[in-house]
Amino acid sequence: MEIVRVPKRRAFGLASAGLLGLCLPAAVPAATPGWLAPDTVSGTIDLRLAGADGEPSWTDGGFGKARFGGARDGDLRLKPALAETELVWRPPLGWDLTGTLAVAAQHEQDLPVDLIEAFVAWKPVPRGPIRVSARAGLMWPPVSLEQEGPAWAVTDMITPSAINSWIGEEVKPVALEGSVSRPFGGQRVSATLALFGVNDTAGTLLAFRGWAMHDLKAGAFGRQPLPPLNEFMLLAQAPATRPAIELDDRPGFYGKLAWSPAAPLLIEAFYYANRGDPEMATPTLQWGWNTRFLHLGVRADLDAHTRLLAQALTGTTEMGIEENGHYWVQTSYRAAYLRATREMGDLALSGRLDLFGTSERGSQMSREESESGWALTGAGRLRLSDEAALLVEGLHIDSRREARARTGVAPNQAQNVVQLAVRLTL
Amino acid sequence: MRALAFLALAVSAWPAAAAELVVELRTPSGQPVPDAVVSLYPGGRPAPFGPARGPYQIAQRNTQFQPFVLIVPVGGQIAFPNYDSFRHHVYSFSPAKRFELKLYAREQDRTVRFDQAGVVALGCNIHDQMTAFVMVSDTGLAAKSDAAGRIVFADVPPGPVTARLWHPWLREPGNRAELRWTLPARGSQRHAMTVQLRPPPRPGAAY
Repeated sequence: MEIVRVPKRRAFGLASAGLLGLCLPAAVPAATPGWLAPDTVSGTIDLRLAGADGEPSWTDGGFGKARFGGARDGDLRLKPALAETELVWRPPLGWDLTGTLAVAAQHEQDLPVDLIEAFVAWKPVPRGPIRVSARAGLMWPPVSLEQEGPAWAVTDMITPSAINSWIGEEVKPVALEGSVSRPFGGQRVSATLALFGVNDTAGTLLAFRGWAMHDLKAGAFGRQPLPPLNEFMLLAQAPATRPAIELDDRPGFYGKLAWSPAAPLLIEAFYYANRGDPEMATPTLQWGWNTRFLHLGVRADLDAHTRLLAQALTGTTEMGIEENGHYWVQTSYRAAYLRATREMGDLALSGRLDLFGTSERGSQMSREESESGWALTGAGRLRLSDEAALLVEGLHIDSRREARARTGVAPNQAQNVVQLAVRLTL
Repeated sequence: MRALAFLALAVSAWPAAAAELVVELRTPSGQPVPDAVVSLYPGGRPAPFGPARGPYQIAQRNTQFQPFVLIVPVGGQIAFPNYDSFRHHVYSFSPAKRFELKLYAREQDRTVRFDQAGVVALGCNIHDQMTAFVMVSDTGLAAKSDAAGRIVFADVPPGPVTARLWHPWLREPGNRAELRWTLPARGSQRHAMTVQLRPPPRPGAAY
């Protein structure tokens, strides 16, 4: 049988056009109730013009931390792109049951179209102050305070924080999740617990590439490229990681406690452990990673138009054979950000400071695989209409990673990315 | 100035003398407070109801309840027409009225009777951002503030009156405060009040 390969960019264009076609029914007014009603289907198109200097992006075979990188000589490179086309279908499966099916065509991804989320949510009408709900399927765990809405988009900025970029690219389990919440006077407390699988490779990108800042999202079937690996790992690890696979048939778990002491304040604590077997690998060299992390998040609404967001995450991951008390890869990681957003009518201005770092102690990874860095992001979002928004964002990332020498660039890298996005919602 | 909810008209037992009462509500920063309900109890007793008003309606339009606050007398019936082209699942678990309405797209013939005084909080189980409140009133003198934060009662009997102020985000226990005024036999009395509001709660999880 002859295999015909479609060039990645052309395949992406065809996929976007296909998704656009599928979006059209959402724009057709219809009185159809039920699972084909207009409000069950939504689509988003993200047209992007990006300019970046510095090292090549990790999506282009480098260690660059942004979605877009500079030219090979580090000079500014301008790049227009149909960055993303998303289609979300949320059919009502009953009065208490709703399905969510999200597919996306994302530039820089290896598959022209991939499944982003597929889950069923159960939310019965409350009979009293206690609310219960449940979800089952492929989905992101409730970590991010930045992403919301269809297909998990950052609404007021283009690029999510380092923390939520990683959640978006690698932490995508198939989970059975239950939540309960209830008010106590003016306070509200909620608890969430989940068992999950199909996320055994989470941690691969953090260990081999480090933190990144981009709006690419993990798909159910796609792969994320890894930067050039060291000599040992070139033979042990596949050159790309597939986030959504199960290797050891051992379920992981996550849990979250959230407390809102008053309406303008929300405090969350979240723990994740995929319980992956670090010594297990597929014939295609996808390894199990024993990844766990603790996350804290705070949202404070200073007034009706100003909000502060802060998240901090720390964790460890291990992969490979244990030798002398160390696995081949043994990475600890940490990151935090503080973000402020101010809305002024149709305009929202945001600023964010990110800090991040990893420490490597694996037996087959040198200390040069550790990293540290920070980033400043400023963004403006202008609402043009109910269906259109214009976003402008400037991102500066400064980081140090000795392993960059493998790609011929200096360990210290400073990079600037300016992006202009037009988001159309159908 | 028009009162936005029902106002009782004089009935046979009502004193002939009456004064106009104007209530103006603002936040400490000077912003007007709409959707606050003031209920008057002349002499500490509920005022009689005037001729039946209505019909009462809380519409679902553009994924919002309209109006946000509605006052109905005890026993009043409210229609819940759905003008959206998709479903809504209206519910309340407030002690004054527990109910659940499953409304299909553009369904316009469902009503609920409210036969116990109190505040009824409404939500939509499909769209968490939808919130509204029904004040089921046991007094014929009850009205809500308009966009300018004003309420005008045209005919209030003279003498002492108990005024109960309620707003969903009022920074007071139970979201309510009680005041006592003395109304003159004729003329107009104005009460400019500064009230503290809490930020409205954020809607829950979207799934």
